[in-house]
Amino acid sequence: MRSLDLIRRSGRSLLSAKTRTVLTVFAIGVGAFALTLTLGASNGAQEYADTIIKDNFDPTALIISSDGALFGSSDDSKPQAYNPNFGSITAPSGATRQIKLLSDSDIGRLKQVPGVASVNPAIALSLQYLTRDGQKKYEATATAYDDYSAPSLLAGRIPTNVPSDSVILPEGFVHALGFNSPEDAIGKTIRVSVSKQFDQASVLSSLLSGEPSKAGAALKAPSNSQETALQVIAITMKPATLLQASSGLYLRLSSQDIIKLNDFTTANTNSYHKYLSASVKVKDGTNSTKLTAAQDKIKRLGYGAQSVVDTQKTITQVISVLGAIVTVFGVIAIIASVFGVVNTMYISVLQRTREIGLMKALGMHKKDINKLFLFEAGLIGLLGGVVGSALAFTAGVLLNPVISKQLSLGSVKLLDFKIGEIVMLVIVLMIIAILAGLFPARKASRLDPIQALRTE
Amino acid sequence: MITITDLSKTYGKKDNPFTALQNISLEIRSGSTVSIIGKSGSGKSTLMHIMSGLDRPTSGTVTIDDTDLFSMKQRAMDDFRANQMSFIFQSFFIEANQTCYQNVMLPLEIAKVPLTKRKQLVKDALEAVELSDKSGNLAGNLSGGQKQRLAIARAIVNKPSILFADEPTGNLDSATGDKIMNLLFELNRSLKCTLVIVTHDTELAARCQTQIRLKDGSVESISDKKVRHA
Repeated sequence: MRSLDLIRRSGRSLLSAKTRTVLTVFAIGVGAFALTLTLGASNGAQEYADTIIKDNFDPTALIISSDGALFGSSDDSKPQAYNPNFGSITAPSGATRQIKLLSDSDIGRLKQVPGVASVNPAIALSLQYLTRDGQKKYEATATAYDDYSAPSLLAGRIPTNVPSDSVILPEGFVHALGFNSPEDAIGKTIRVSVSKQFDQASVLSSLLSGEPSKAGAALKAPSNSQETALQVIAITMKPATLLQASSGLYLRLSSQDIIKLNDFTTANTNSYHKYLSASVKVKDGTNSTKLTAAQDKIKRLGYGAQSVVDTQKTITQVISVLGAIVTVFGVIAIIASVFGVVNTMYISVLQRTREIGLMKALGMHKKDINKLFLFEAGLIGLLGGVVGSALAFTAGVLLNPVISKQLSLGSVKLLDFKIGEIVMLVIVLMIIAILAGLFPARKASRLDPIQALRTE
Repeated sequence: MITITDLSKTYGKKDNPFTALQNISLEIRSGSTVSIIGKSGSGKSTLMHIMSGLDRPTSGTVTIDDTDLFSMKQRAMDDFRANQMSFIFQSFFIEANQTCYQNVMLPLEIAKVPLTKRKQLVKDALEAVELSDKSGNLAGNLSGGQKQRLAIARAIVNKPSILFADEPTGNLDSATGDKIMNLLFELNRSLKCTLVIVTHDTELAARCQTQIRLKDGSVESISDKKVRHA
């Protein structure tokens, strides 16, 4: 028999047992629904992660630390001995992780590494306050402007080299500082204040030597803080994807201003001209070979170096694991529905014993009878796959705006469906259904026509 | 011409055999009408199954127009059946969920008749059994007589050379049964196909040119009208 005739007969047989067909299709559809959503969600999550990285990190940059400890290669499980030359961060385990700080000589050494375009110490400076004449004082953090970040601007413009005594202000401060609009803020002057970090060692020794007043004076001295006037040159829009919500309120200054302010706050302390990490820009860093080459050279000098690629890998790994877990549930649903298909097809064979006998008597080949039932199973798989993925697709289209709003994902869709993937899924489901039909189809093709046609 | 030579069929194991057919030899002329009669268990259905290649004999041969049926491979036998033979059953065996048209189409699909010819063949067959107006109706909605007519249309659509009818009137009242028989004899004449009827209805059997009476798996008697009247 021609395949087309067989397919048509298979389809007709499915139509003539509508309830049975619908239920079996539904069983496969549930699996297809789950798997389609999983595929969509892992695509979406991956895309979201990529967007975050793209918006927050420069792909040509390496993050350098004195050793690998910043990136978690130290043993957090044991208490660490204090070292005044070390900075510290709190590890996710709650333990304090000691980080050897980078010094100016380290920065100098890094600058000498071939392939390195620039080295900037990473500074996130906590301001004492930020204010403007006649306005309240606000807490704020300042950081150096990195031309890679190319933030969307609401007003003003950012020159290639940010001049001294100027500031790029985030949208959030416009109304807080009493400006009517972003445009209104351009060219106006704001004031930031930084305070000296007290020297832990001298305060401690004053207290121990029984001179608390001296220690208090050291902490309260008026010279301990300094105000700087800055001119607003641009207002940045709040980005859609932020690694940390607070980074949306970062003030951006020229790197020389940041270093100057940082030097003031750290003067006479262990942290003076010492940095937790530095950002190294690699020449032609978009070329991954060059980036890796520079990274290897820096690592060979004994520093810890991490690129965005590494961060991306870590995030991708997490997403893959989560995706795999959901996939397992989808696969279980599919396995359950396979038994449904076997059962449906088996009943179909039993119900159609006479029809099969007649077809055999009329000279239909064993192989064609086999195919007839395999096509029927395949059609169930096709329908289940199409119905399930179509429902998932519809659900995605309906839910995406809600999810994006709830999770503040901006323009990123959490459920990102790729047509190619869905088509592949449907094809795979068809193949699985056909495999499930193998046993019933074999049973049908081996039916003895005389037995099948025996009249009761 | 169907030539059956020394045909035997034994069921069961060696130590406890059941002989369904024993040393049967006979000839059926092409285009003739033949009835196989006998009580139930006499082996008439088994004989029909072997003649049509649905069952295999334990020994002996069946030759149809110089073709030794059981020397063929399964596929070749299937194709042979698809092109040369047809069946009508007591319980019709039509697909109730399909239309009359789709029911009659089945043998053409199996025999791989070109698409262009199919429509006309189905139309002709339905016309021959006077079901043209029911073409698009579901087969399940037909009356008993109509169902058997539909089965006949399906049986003649591919213009077979041998038509096997297994108790064709068994499920019908006598008036409808008569009509069906008239139709079968008419088609035998117009299509020139050999008609082999298995029945225990002696009246029906008497209308055939040749009557083969079976008893306990052996031929009890063969009466041939033409021979008798010659």
